[in-house]
Amino acid sequence: MIPSLLAAWAATIPSFAAPFLLATVGLIINERAGVMNLGAEGIMAVAAVTAVLINLGGGGAGVSLLGGVAAGLALSAVFAVMAVLLRVDQVLAGLVTFALGIGISGYVGDGSENQTISGISQLPAGAFTWAPKPLTGVLDQDVLTYAAFAAAILVWYVIEHTALGLRLRAVGEDAPAADAAGVNVAVYRAGAVLAGGVLCAVAGAHLSLVGSHLWVNGMVAGRGWIAVAMVTLARWNALRAIAAALLFGAIQALVPQLLSSGLNVPVYFIEMSPYLATLAYLVLAGMFAKGADAQPVDLGRPYLREERR
Amino acid sequence: MRKPIVSPRLAASPRLAAFTLLGGLGAGLLISALFLLTQGLGLSDLASQFLGYTFTDPEGLDQTLTRAIPLILVGLSVAVCLRVKFWNIGVEGQLWAGAMAATAMPLYHIGPEPLHLWIMCVAAMLGGGVWCGVCALARLRLRANEVVTTLLMNYVAYMLAQQLLYGAWRNPEDSFPVSRSFSPDECLALLGFGHVHAGIFFALGAALFCWWLCSLSRVGYMARAVAANPLAARAVGVPAGAVVLLMATLGGALSGLAGFTIVSGEEHKLTQFIGNDFIFPSIVIAYLARTSPLGVVVAAVAVAALYTAGDSLKAFYQLPGATVLTIQAILLLCVCCGEFLLRYRVDWVKTAKAAA
Repeated sequence: MIPSLLAAWAATIPSFAAPFLLATVGLIINERAGVMNLGAEGIMAVAAVTAVLINLGGGGAGVSLLGGVAAGLALSAVFAVMAVLLRVDQVLAGLVTFALGIGISGYVGDGSENQTISGISQLPAGAFTWAPKPLTGVLDQDVLTYAAFAAAILVWYVIEHTALGLRLRAVGEDAPAADAAGVNVAVYRAGAVLAGGVLCAVAGAHLSLVGSHLWVNGMVAGRGWIAVAMVTLARWNALRAIAAALLFGAIQALVPQLLSSGLNVPVYFIEMSPYLATLAYLVLAGMFAKGADAQPVDLGRPYLREERR
Repeated sequence: MRKPIVSPRLAASPRLAAFTLLGGLGAGLLISALFLLTQGLGLSDLASQFLGYTFTDPEGLDQTLTRAIPLILVGLSVAVCLRVKFWNIGVEGQLWAGAMAATAMPLYHIGPEPLHLWIMCVAAMLGGGVWCGVCALARLRLRANEVVTTLLMNYVAYMLAQQLLYGAWRNPEDSFPVSRSFSPDECLALLGFGHVHAGIFFALGAALFCWWLCSLSRVGYMARAVAANPLAARAVGVPAGAVVLLMATLGGALSGLAGFTIVSGEEHKLTQFIGNDFIFPSIVIAYLARTSPLGVVVAAVAVAALYTAGDSLKAFYQLPGATVLTIQAILLLCVCCGEFLLRYRVDWVKTAKAAA
């Protein structure tokens, strides 16, 4: 019984981890450019509901995904205007974005709750018959889940190993120096917000198109907030985000397995554990002065050339 | 060609400050009203729902005031923390912590019976204070970002409460996931006006205390110095860390007190859903009040009225529950964007090319 339980658990981990991963990587792009975006939850919600509405209206999976991304992008643009152009406190701007996204998604999705959609299904069965037996379940995922892991690697490469990434990091670490070197801080920050917003939107679309195949009010259920915390756990590194997402995904995937197995376990303590792990990580990193340095120096600081620091 | 040059204002006149706040609020209300008008509501409906029912109808006023009690306290919580530039986005966690601490007292028969209510009150403040204080400590000693820590502590408190409600604290009589009901001397007294309970005195008292603390006391003065420039404050001998810790702990205690007023004044037991939907309203209230404790009372009553109106819009016009959150978001969006004009001056300057 235990091996089959483990296999069933392992097979569900990637699709639980993918939305966390996409959103976390999106937020890493934001934060490496020095912008703290607390609006991820809202961006995910509008993307999730838009994708469902388009799918219900007869749009295909691809069109639904694009529609969700467009909606998330629009909300990210609102955030970018506030945080980058108008230099509103980033925490405040992010909270406004969160509330706007949750509010609007609850509004437009009101009449379409709990209607099943076709969404995105898994890759054709039998595609992984060549793989060793225990792996077939894990490999048997949908396109979007694969794309999430590919996106993390791509973003990691761009941020750490390209000139574009270097300028992005410069903007996040020392905006005045980047400005003096000829990098347009506002353009890079706005670009980072939008690019990160696309990934958060895909995360939201993943939740509805792949995960639940329907829209329910409040279905993002704090995943966007968890992503904010996971950025710290991943130490602002997109590759480490994969590990962090797998950790959170594994624990979230464990809960339904435990419930269906009928074992008497403290479910809420198990669900609490990733939050405690992140807090413990913050404490340990602070005590041993490790990782604390990974936070971009200019994170949360609006930049204005005319303002003295 | 003209190019905008944005420069920070060194000092903004109070008149401009009032103008941007009112302008932002006005714009937000106008957009919200237009939005509701497109949803099939008439102008008279809006007036009767938002002004008539919420303030003049006894039932509506009852609902507004009852809801305002915890909103005042969580608004104060965020405002007090913001006084030292500490972002407290964990009011829900602190509220849960306070509610759990308060509930634990009668459940485990701690203290003499006649003092139960006061013991619950103190326990709630301690619970909330610790929940926020550790985050302040983590920021001061470990440089952990308080936005992330206070956020995570929300989930820890919520899950802990659920675990207790499904486990040790489950009602022994009917096995529902709620604690046993409190006895009458563990509940805040009703004031004879609907559901309004004595918690309103706690909320107003807390607002007065915070006003005294922030405006008149030495701590409030030091808090202003720390907020303006922590390094300079420390250089002239202000114990900057202690001030941040004190204000953050006080903020947490206020949220904990909000939890106490809910379990002891409204629910008369610990239930599963007491701490939902407080984070964003608390930010809205503190921000609209410009972190002024007395302003928080006004803003909290206004936001509570918004919820009352939202409930009746939901019942009579089938508007989704998300309406209230959307309106709050639009209001805050307009006010904080309007602040741009308060903090910066925009000059349209001829570029060199055009001048040549």
